[in-house]
Amino acid sequence: MPATIIRLEQVAKIYGSGNTEVRALFNVSLVVKSGEYCAIMGPSGSGKSTAMNIIGCLDRPTNGSYYLDNVDVAGLDDSELAHIRNRKIGFVFQQFHLLPQLTAIENVMLPMVYAGMPSSERQDRAADALHRVGLGNRLQNRPNQLSGGQQQRVAIARAIVNHPVLLLADEPTGALDSHTTKEVMAIFDELNASGMTVVMVTHESDVARLSQRIVWFRDGEVLHDHLSPDSLSEVTVLS
Amino acid sequence: MDFVESLKMAAKTLTANRLRSGLTMLGIVIGNASVIMMVGVGEGAQEYVSEQIEGLGPNVLFVVPGSQETQRATFNVPKTLVLSDAEAIVEQVAAVDNIAPEFNDRGLITRGNRTSNATIVGTTPGFTTVRNFTLKQGRFFTDLDMRRSNPVVVLGPDLAERLMDNRDPIGQQIRIKNVSFQVIGVLDEKGSNLGLNYDDAVIIPITTMANRLVGRTSPYGIELTYISVSVEDENQMDAAQFQIANLLRLRHKIVGEDDFTINSQQDLLEVTGTITNALTIMLAAIAGISLLVGGIGIMNIMLVSVRERTQEIGLRKAIGASQHDILMQFMIEAVILSAAGGLIGTGLGISGALLIGVASPFQPGISVTAAVVAVAVSGGIGLFFGVVPARQAAKLDPIVALRSA
Repeated sequence: MPATIIRLEQVAKIYGSGNTEVRALFNVSLVVKSGEYCAIMGPSGSGKSTAMNIIGCLDRPTNGSYYLDNVDVAGLDDSELAHIRNRKIGFVFQQFHLLPQLTAIENVMLPMVYAGMPSSERQDRAADALHRVGLGNRLQNRPNQLSGGQQQRVAIARAIVNHPVLLLADEPTGALDSHTTKEVMAIFDELNASGMTVVMVTHESDVARLSQRIVWFRDGEVLHDHLSPDSLSEVTVLS
Repeated sequence: MDFVESLKMAAKTLTANRLRSGLTMLGIVIGNASVIMMVGVGEGAQEYVSEQIEGLGPNVLFVVPGSQETQRATFNVPKTLVLSDAEAIVEQVAAVDNIAPEFNDRGLITRGNRTSNATIVGTTPGFTTVRNFTLKQGRFFTDLDMRRSNPVVVLGPDLAERLMDNRDPIGQQIRIKNVSFQVIGVLDEKGSNLGLNYDDAVIIPITTMANRLVGRTSPYGIELTYISVSVEDENQMDAAQFQIANLLRLRHKIVGEDDFTINSQQDLLEVTGTITNALTIMLAAIAGISLLVGGIGIMNIMLVSVRERTQEIGLRKAIGASQHDILMQFMIEAVILSAAGGLIGTGLGISGALLIGVASPFQPGISVTAAVVAVAVSGGIGLFFGVVPARQAAKLDPIVALRSA
C-alpha cells in the first residue's frame, strides 16, 4: 500500500467577500498516492489553477484541510510553507522561470541554497540532476544559450534536486513545440518510473494521455476522476 | 539561507546589471565625495586660520580702538587709541616687554615710472621684536628716526621686487603719497597674516607718517589703528591684560563702557574657531543633502527593480525562499550599492581634497573619522532606503508574481 502524498478534504477557496465573492473551489476532495502520475485538466476558470496553488502550498484553502505527506499544511505560517515548498515540492512552470543571470548549474543549485546546504554538496547534486535530464554537458550555459526544451529540462533538474515527494508541473509543455514536448514528457515518464509522484496541470490531451490518471475540474469541482487514460476520449465528449 | 550566500547572490545580480548599478551608485558617490571634500576643506581652512593666529605668538596682546559693540560697525571705527596710550602701556605695565603701535593706511608708492598701491604702516622700532619680523637687507628704523620724523622706509619683499627691478633697494629714493623717502631696509618674507600682507607694504616711522603723510592728529596725539603688545611671560598674559585695561580706563577717564578692546591670541582662536566650525558644519550639511538625494535614488531604482523582478521573486518563493530571505536579498543589494558608492565616493573625495590642497594656500584635512563616518552613513542610507522596496518584494504574493508577464 503506497503512502498518501496529497489528501485534500472538502477544500474550498473563496476570493473576496460579499458581492464580489468568487468561489474558485468548493468541496474538492482528492487523494494522490506515492508514485502516481496524475494529470489535472479542465477549462479556464474551472479551478484547476487554484487547486494547483493549494497543492503547491503557494496558497491556503479557505475551508477544509490539506495534508501533504501527512502534514497538515493549512495551519502553517509563511516561513513554514516556504520550508515545505523547498523540501517537499518541486515546481515546473510553463515559462521555465530560470534566472537569466545564473548558469544552468547555478539555477539548479538555487533550491539547495535556500535549504542551507554546503557548497560542495550543492555542486555535486546539481550536476547529478542535470545529468539525469540529459544536460550534463551544459552545466555552465546561461538560459539564453539554451533552447526552450533544454531550459525546461534545467527547470526539471531544479525541481528534483532537493528530492521532493511531489513534482508539480503547471503546463510544462505549454511553451514548447511538439518535438521538444515529447522529449520533456519522456523525462517526466522516466522520473515517475523511478518512483516520483507527478501532478501535472495541462490543456493538451496528448500530454494528459501519457499519465495514469486524469482529474477533470469544472466550475470549482472535480467533475471526473479516471484512473485509466483510455477513458480520456469519453471525458472529452462529456466536457 | 546564510549571509554569505545572500552576499554572493546580491553581487551576482548587481554585476549582471552593471550600468544600472553604476548609475544608482553615482548619487551616493557624489554625495560622499562632497561630504569628504567639504569637511576636508573646512578643516583645512580652520587649520590655516589657526596657524595664522598662532603665528602671532602666544605672548602677544592686541589693543584695538572701540568697544566690541562699536567694532561691529566696520565703517567709521572710532579712533580712540593714541600714541601716548601705547607709550604709557610700555612704561607703566610691568609685565609688558615691548609694544608696536600701528597706524595703517593705503596709498600710492612710486619709483621712477613704477607705481604700486600698497599698505602704508606707520609704527615704532618695537615692531620687529613684537611682530617677529626679520630683515633681509639693511636696517630697521631707530628711535632717532622716530624723534626726527625721518623720511626713511623699510619695504616688504614683494613690493621691493616690483619697484626695484633687480637694483639694490638700499639707498634708493621712493615717493609715498608724493613724499620722498629713502629705503633703508627690506623685510624677510612672511606671507599674508589675517588679511594683512606685510610682504606688500611700506613700513615707516609712525611720527613721520603723522607729521608728513597723513597730517591728521587728534587733540590727544597720533591716532592708532591698533597696538600689538608683547608680554614678558606667557603666564602673565591675564595680569597684563587686566593692567592694560585699567591703565587705559584711567587715561581715557572711562566710567561706563570701554572704548577699546584687548584681544589675546587665545581670544582670536576662539572666535575664529567658532566661525570656521560653523562653516564646516554648513558645508557638510549641504553635502549631506546630496547624500540624502543619493539614498532616495537608490530607493527609486530598487522599487523599479522589485517591479521588474516580480517573476524572479515569485520563483524564489516557489522554490523555498521565505519572506525573510527575499527581504534580506533586496536589503543587501541596497546596502552593497550604497556602501560601495560610499567607498568610491570617499576615494574621490580624498583625491579631490588633495587636489584642492595643491591649488590653494591651505592644506585640506583628510580625517579618518570623517571617512569612516561617511562610509557608515552611506551604508546606513542604503539600509534605510532599502527597507521600503525590500518589504514590498518580500510581501509579494508568489502566485501573482509568477503569473505576471
